Amino acid sequence: MGATTDTSNETIDLTIKVWRQSGPDDRGEFRTYDLKGVSTHMSFLEMLDVLNEQLLAGDEEPVAFDHDCREGICGMCGMVINGQAHGPDRETTTCQLHMRRFNDGDTIVIEPWRATAFPVIRDLVVDRSAFDRIIEAGGFVSVNTGNPPDANAILVPKDDAEQSMNAAACIGCGACVAACKNASAMLFVGAKVSHLALLPQGKPERKQRANDMVAQMDKEQFGSCTNTYECEAACPAGISVENIARLNREYLRSLLPF
Amino acid sequence: MNRLLFALRSSIGRKLVMGVTGLLLCGFLVAHLAGNFLLYVGPDAYNEYADTLHKQKLLLAIAELGLLVLFLMHIYLAISTGKDNKTARSQTYDRKQTKIESNSQGIFKAWPENWMFVSGALVLGFIILHLIDFRMEFRPDITYEGKEPFEKAVMLLKNPITATVYFAGTLLLGVHLTHGVASAFQSLGTSNQWTQKCFKWFSIIFGVGISLGFASFPVWALFK
Repeated sequence: MGATTDTSNETIDLTIKVWRQSGPDDRGEFRTYDLKGVSTHMSFLEMLDVLNEQLLAGDEEPVAFDHDCREGICGMCGMVINGQAHGPDRETTTCQLHMRRFNDGDTIVIEPWRATAFPVIRDLVVDRSAFDRIIEAGGFVSVNTGNPPDANAILVPKDDAEQSMNAAACIGCGACVAACKNASAMLFVGAKVSHLALLPQGKPERKQRANDMVAQMDKEQFGSCTNTYECEAACPAGISVENIARLNREYLRSLLPF
Repeated sequence: MNRLLFALRSSIGRKLVMGVTGLLLCGFLVAHLAGNFLLYVGPDAYNEYADTLHKQKLLLAIAELGLLVLFLMHIYLAISTGKDNKTARSQTYDRKQTKIESNSQGIFKAWPENWMFVSGALVLGFIILHLIDFRMEFRPDITYEGKEPFEKAVMLLKNPITATVYFAGTLLLGVHLTHGVASAFQSLGTSNQWTQKCFKWFSIIFGVGISLGFASFPVWALFK
């Protein structure tokens, strides 16, 4: 794969090998479809739309896949394309991947995120509510309701704000879990813990937060981090593994009595 | 206390203890290599070092027990986290490809980090053989009696099969360390973007240094 030939004004013929699973209890299997005349201007999800039209015309169930904004912002879409979470491009979600990245005659293998914590609901759709439960466990700050405070009442050093915002860029798509050989959620939890722990508003609850979010992460059966950093390479939001080190630090700090 | 025990059983807690035990074992490797380098100084220096060491019976017993505990903890945690990691992905991918550019090319293809369990298990096997040879003095083909430590070491390492096993074992140890040291620092939460690169390089240099240091002894003994 890779941009070896200029296919910007062409259509390409593809073989799509896609995971089909009718429900959570179905064993599931790969099915192969031929797709002809795919415009190289299409996004990957538009290519799947075309495939689904073809399937519907042939009285076959369309391939279920998650999507929402199709602008690379929401974190809904996500599938493993030719063994890579969100496909071959760095810092790109599936919806922002375009068919010009593929060549005429290619076979594209499409699989759902594979993790025990992300059970398959149907075809390429997985249940990512484990992430929601981790956030519920501590990914918030407790504040009194009322009038908004003055904008500059709490001063935040620029470096801290930058690092916090970088961590907050996580869209919770789950690519980190999909790419990790241990299906670990450390990059996601690291980003969520970091973006709050770095700000003054998040500091009062930092110990409880690290403890509770890690406990929930383990309960959801995500694996542990063996520091291979595949998560960072697969992350469409460019979240750094520095956040994993910070999570480890925050967790260690939560054990100290002072 | 209960909270601490609970935390140490968590995925992060276990990796943390694994990192600490690994780094302490690295400290032992440095001391062990430094002592072994006396082989190059000559029989007198090495024998004197070995005799002085063996006279400290109590200290030696404590050190050996400490090392055994460190090894057992490190191994237990590797098995325990490894088992959980297998459970975390019950169904594997049909196709899996890295997105780290440097890992998708070259001869190494990031294999030290992806083969930590296997390299660790092979190193354990090598350590058991090493203990049978030098600590228990249990090799049936070798006459240990009446020989000084220097003579015993040369005699053991002169055997071509032993030399090959020791050479391969120490190289595997190096492979394990090139990822293990940097990984331990990350698990301890000590790295940021800049120090992470430093730890990675330190880890490679440390792994290669320790490996070549130990691997040099069987090569030296063959020409002795």
